Amino acid sequence: MVDQHNDVHNEEIPTELVKMITQLECVFSDTPDLIMRKLRIKQTGEQAVLTYLDGLTDKISINQDVLRPLLFEAGSGEAGGELMMTVGHIEPQLNWSQIKLSILQGSSVLFVDGRSEAYSLDTKGWPQRAIEDPQLEASLKGAHQGFVETGEQNIALIRRYIPNRELKLKRLTVGQRGQTTVSVLYLEDVVNPNLLKRLIERIQQIDVDVIINTGELTEFIEDSPFSIFPQLISTERPDAAASQILQGRCVIVVDRSPSVLVTPVSFMSFFQNVDDYSTRWPISTFLRLLRLFAFFTAAFLPGIYIAVISYHFEIIPLKLLLTLGESRGQVPFPPFVEAIFMEITLEMLREAGIRLPAPVGQTVGIVGGIVIGQAVVQAGLISNIMVIIVSFTAISSFILPNFDMVAAARLIRFMLMVLATLFGFVGLIIGLMIMIGHLIALKSLGVPYGSPFAPVRFTDWKDTLVRVPLWLMNKRPLSTTPIQIKRQGKSRVGEESE
Amino acid sequence: MKDYANNQITLLQYIFIITGLQVNVSIVSLPRNLAETAGTDGWMSIIIGWVISAAASIAIIRVMKNHPEGTLLDLLTRFMGMWAGKVISLLLSLYYFYILYDGLTRTILITKAWLLPTIPNFILMILLLIPTYAIAQHGPSVLGRYAELIAYMSLWIPFVYILTLKNAHWLHLLPMFKDGWQPILSAVKETIYPSLGMAATFILYPFLKHKEKAATGILISTSLSMVVYLFFTVICFLYYSPDDISNYNDVVISVLKSIEFKFVERIEVIFIAYHLFLYSLVWIPTMYLTTYCTSWLFRQSDHRGHMTWLCVLLAIGTIIYSPTFNQSDRLENLLTWIGFGTEYVFPVCLAVYLWIRKSSKRRPAHEGKA
Repeated sequence: MVDQHNDVHNEEIPTELVKMITQLECVFSDTPDLIMRKLRIKQTGEQAVLTYLDGLTDKISINQDVLRPLLFEAGSGEAGGELMMTVGHIEPQLNWSQIKLSILQGSSVLFVDGRSEAYSLDTKGWPQRAIEDPQLEASLKGAHQGFVETGEQNIALIRRYIPNRELKLKRLTVGQRGQTTVSVLYLEDVVNPNLLKRLIERIQQIDVDVIINTGELTEFIEDSPFSIFPQLISTERPDAAASQILQGRCVIVVDRSPSVLVTPVSFMSFFQNVDDYSTRWPISTFLRLLRLFAFFTAAFLPGIYIAVISYHFEIIPLKLLLTLGESRGQVPFPPFVEAIFMEITLEMLREAGIRLPAPVGQTVGIVGGIVIGQAVVQAGLISNIMVIIVSFTAISSFILPNFDMVAAARLIRFMLMVLATLFGFVGLIIGLMIMIGHLIALKSLGVPYGSPFAPVRFTDWKDTLVRVPLWLMNKRPLSTTPIQIKRQGKSRVGEESE
Repeated sequence: MKDYANNQITLLQYIFIITGLQVNVSIVSLPRNLAETAGTDGWMSIIIGWVISAAASIAIIRVMKNHPEGTLLDLLTRFMGMWAGKVISLLLSLYYFYILYDGLTRTILITKAWLLPTIPNFILMILLLIPTYAIAQHGPSVLGRYAELIAYMSLWIPFVYILTLKNAHWLHLLPMFKDGWQPILSAVKETIYPSLGMAATFILYPFLKHKEKAATGILISTSLSMVVYLFFTVICFLYYSPDDISNYNDVVISVLKSIEFKFVERIEVIFIAYHLFLYSLVWIPTMYLTTYCTSWLFRQSDHRGHMTWLCVLLAIGTIIYSPTFNQSDRLENLLTWIGFGTEYVFPVCLAVYLWIRKSSKRRPAHEGKA
C-alpha cells in the first residue's frame, strides 16, 4: 500500500505546463485511458491541459460545459483571470495527492500554464444502473425504488423521505486503495450520541485495501464476529432505511454498494418488514407471529422429527405411529442420515438456484422436484414423512424477510439435528438454552440484541410480536436508546392519551 | 474490584433470579417430602416456612444495607478485617458450589430417570455445562435477563397443571389438622431446602439498580416461591391419595401423566424436557456466584478463568463419581442444615452483630457531641 510516488504527490504543482505533463505521465504511467487534451483558453489566452480518465467521466459534460466555453467563449483576455465554465462544482487543487484522487474518482482536472493551482471539475459520470424495484426485498405496498451503486444517489433517496435539517451525515473514507466513501446518516436530535461515536470510531479503525461491499464493512464493525446471528440489517429499500433512521438508528451508506446497513438492531428487527406498516395492523400482527413461528420451524423441525423418531416415539398418537412405521419400515437408514441427506439436497438445490443462470435454473427445479418429490421415496431411501418435514422446513425459511437471519436458522438447524440425534428432546432444549443464552448476551453496537425480551421492555412490545395501530406507537423504541423518545403526538380525533 | 455499574440488574430481574434459585429441582420432591411427615396437611407447613424465610430474607437485606456499594465479602472485610472476608468468601463459594452440584446432579438424575436412561452421567454433565458456561460467564445482567425471560416463557406451566384438576379429589385435603399441629410444624423443616437461594443477595446486592427496593424485592420473590410451592403441592395432594403419594419419587412430574391430548400422546415427555429450563435457574446463577467468590478470594478481576476450571472439574468429577438418587437425597438433607445455617442463622447473627457494633459506636459519638 506504500505509494511509490509519495514524494511527487505532496509536492506543489509546477507552474510550467511542460513539466506538469511530464509529471502527470510519470504518475499515471501505463494508464492509456488517461486523456490529456491540450488547449488554448480563449478567455485568457493561456495554454492549458485538461486531464481525465476516459470512462469515469461524462463526455457530454466535458464537451459542452468545459471544452466549449474554454475554446470558444471570449473573456477578459488577461492571463490569470477567472475561467468561465458551466460546471457545477469547480475546486482549486494545490497538491498532487488531491489531484490524483480526483482524477481517479472521475473528476477532470484542468492545469493552466503559469498557475500554481489546478482545477478539479465535477464531470463524474460512470456506467450506472437505473433505479429499479428492489430485487431481494420485494414489497406489495411499499415504494418501488431500490438503492443503486452510487452512494450520493442512495443518500438522496433517503433524504426524499426525511427532508429535515436534523438528518445529518458523517462522511468517512475507508480503504487505502479503494478510498470508499462511507456515510453515516442519522437524526441528530434523536440518535444517542454514544452510539454514533462508537460507530464512527469503529469505522475509522478499519485499515484495509478496499471495502467492496456492505457485507465486508459489517465484518469489521459488528460486535461479535463469531456469532452466527446477523448484527446489522442490510436493506436495499430507501423507505425501510428512512423508517429505521426515524426510530433512532444509524444508516451506513457505502458508495458502490446497492444496499445500506442499519444499526443498532435487535433480534426482532429481522422479523419486521416495511409492508407491516402499510397493511392493517391485525394482519401484520398475524404475519409477525407467522414469521417467528417460521423461524423456529426452520430451525427446529428436522431436529424435533429426529428426536421423536429416535427417542420419544411414545408421544406420537397410535394411528400416526402406525403410518409412520409403515413409511419408515422400508428405509434402511437411521433418521439422522435420512434427515441430513434431505437437508443437504435441499441446501444444494437452493444454492444452485441462486447461482445458475435463469434458463438452466429451471432444470434444477425439475430435477429437484422429481428427486425430492418422487424418486427418493419410491426407491425406499427416504420416508414420506421426511419429505414432508423437509418441504415444510423449506417453506418456513422462505417466509422470513431477511436473508441473513434465514442463513442463521439454517445453520442452527444442522446443529440441532446433531443434538437431537445424540440426546433427543434434552438435546433440543439444551440447544434452545444455548441459543437463548447467546441471544441475550449478544449486543449490536453495544445495545442488547435480545431487547425487548431480554431485558424486558414492555413499551417496546408494541412493535414486536404484535404491531399495534400506528397512532398508538407514540414513542420511539427504547432499544435504540434514543435521546428523543417521543415520536408523535395525538394523531387521531377522539383518541385517548396513552 | 468489579464493575457494578455496567452489570446492573433491575428489581424484577432480581426477583426472578431469587425465585429461580428457590424454585427448581427442589419442587420435584417437595410434595412427597411434605406428605411423608405431615400428610395432606403439609401445605400449611409451606406457609409457616414462608414466614420464617421471609424473616431471614429481611435479615439478609438488613445486613447488606450496611455496605451498599459492595458484596458481603467487601462488607465483612470492612467491618471485621481482611481475614474474615477471605474465610467467608471460601465458605460461601463452597456453599454456592454445593447448591450448584446438588442442582446439576439432581437434574441429571431426573433426566436419566425420565428421558435418557442410557446416556452416561458425565456426558449429560458436559451437555448441561455448555449453556451454563455460555450464560454465566457474562455476569449478573445476563443472568437477570435469562431468569426474567425463562420466567415469562414458563407462564404456561401452571395452566397445564390445572388440567390435572379434572381428576382432583378435594376430599383428600380434609379433615384439616388430622394429627394436630405437631406434624405440620415438623414438616416445616422440609420447606427449608426449597427456600434456599436467598443467599445470592450477598453477592448480587451491589449490582441491584434500586437498592432501596431490595427488601420488597426479596419479599416478593419468597412469596412468589411460596405461591408456586403451594400450587404444586396442592395439585399433587388433590391428585394422589394420601397413602399413595409416597410411592412416587418425583410427584410433580408423575402427575403430568394424567394429561392427555388428542394429538399428542404422552405429552409429559415434552414438559419434562422443558423443565430443564426451570432447573437451569439454579445451576446457572450459582455457577457465577461460586466463581465470583473464588475470584474475589484470589483477587482476580475476571471470573471466567475459574469458571472454565470449575466446568472441567465438574465434568471430570462426574466420570469418577456421581450420586444415586438416595445419595442425592442425603446430600439434600445435609444441604438443608448447612443452608439453614448460612441463610437463616448467619444473617440474623450478623445483623445483630452489626447493629450492636453500630449502636455502641454511635453512643460514644453522641456523648462526645453532647
